[in-house]
Amino acid sequence: MSGLVALEDCIMQKDMPITVGSKILDGFVSPVNATIVNRLMDSGYEIAGKTAMDEFCVPSFFDESGEALDAIQVVSEGRAQYALSNDVFGKYRKQAAENGCCYIRPTYGTVSRFGLVQSVSSMDQIGVVCKNLSDGFALLSKIAGRDSKDGAMFSEENYSYAASVKDIRVGVPKSLSDFGLAENFRTVDIELEYFDVYRQVMYILCCAELGNNISRYDGIKFGYRAPDFRGINDLYTKTRSEGFGANVKLAAIMGAMVLSQDWYTPYYEKAMKIRRLIKESLRFDDYDVIAMPCQISENPYENLSLFAPAALAGLPSVSFPHNGKGIQLIANVKREDLLLSAWEVCK
Amino acid sequence: MQIDKFAGMVKFSLSESERATIEDQSRVLVDSFGLLKNIDTDGVDAMFTVLDIKNVLREDVVAKNISKETLLSNAPEQYGGYFQVPKTVD
Repeated sequence: MSGLVALEDCIMQKDMPITVGSKILDGFVSPVNATIVNRLMDSGYEIAGKTAMDEFCVPSFFDESGEALDAIQVVSEGRAQYALSNDVFGKYRKQAAENGCCYIRPTYGTVSRFGLVQSVSSMDQIGVVCKNLSDGFALLSKIAGRDSKDGAMFSEENYSYAASVKDIRVGVPKSLSDFGLAENFRTVDIELEYFDVYRQVMYILCCAELGNNISRYDGIKFGYRAPDFRGINDLYTKTRSEGFGANVKLAAIMGAMVLSQDWYTPYYEKAMKIRRLIKESLRFDDYDVIAMPCQISENPYENLSLFAPAALAGLPSVSFPHNGKGIQLIANVKREDLLLSAWEVCK
Repeated sequence: MQIDKFAGMVKFSLSESERATIEDQSRVLVDSFGLLKNIDTDGVDAMFTVLDIKNVLREDVVAKNISKETLLSNAPEQYGGYFQVPKTVD
């Protein structure tokens, strides 16, 4: 296998700077290769360089910038054949499909996160920007598989991905999408139970996890340290206030709120319970994959609902352009073969 | 909303404009969270992670991974082979 692969700047490449899009990691040099970087190089791929990113993967949910993500531009312009990123919130899936690319977010726990800087641990998952899904899955087969350095993985040592099913049943949430899929597939009208709270559950859990994960950035062990301070508490506060940007600050403050005594039960614990209900509601019994649009609103917070099920339930999903729109397909755990099969039909 | 209280918990000192923006945005978010109370979760266990993870224990094994020098090279300040911090006790 060969090809140039760009890495989002949250994936460690030994002896290279890494920022996670944040001033807080100013000056940090990766001491190790991420497991996936070693596996890519062992498989004959070349690392093209780093791509810029939203700070700690957190986009603005109040003001959608029109700028294309660096990783999407790099692949759509052919400067690299692939880009790897951690698409927690769906921005990569949306923009890939809008810019003639595809995105693969594999099943949670199938690709090592050793050397990926944590954002939202229970949803962090390295995925692939590519021009077509068969090449993307070929790359994925080289990096997926258990890694003893990541404790939250399935036990399989390897995964191979191949289109397997001809007659795919596509569940279409009738209130959301009309892709004309009935021409190529058996479609089934489905209703996504709990859809009205997908984005709230995801945002609450993400804030709590992100807030905890960024507590390690204190100006002591690595990264940025504010130049002027009086005592240790002032060092912490000035370093973090100067080092983090607006979206991360909002998320961390919301995280502190939902984890606080008065808010924990009605918000954080409640969201974790609804997460279980959401996962159990996505049964994939009378449909094989779910088709979702990549945009339903100009409001990025409302669009988060489209990308929440894959993240909350650990499901694989892909996005690609179809009939002039961005389409996202979601399958059950480790059923990437169905996503590839459906794409083969759509292309 | 007690923005300054929660900001203090995560060691942020906010400017006036940051505080105003976060107050506005957090109000929108908290309003949207109100829908959660409509969902019946009686008897449902919280889901921390989607994986069925169990502790896998093994004997400790001595290994050379990352050297002390490499780790300290990323510290903002170091002295004599240690992380350097300001005085913490008066």
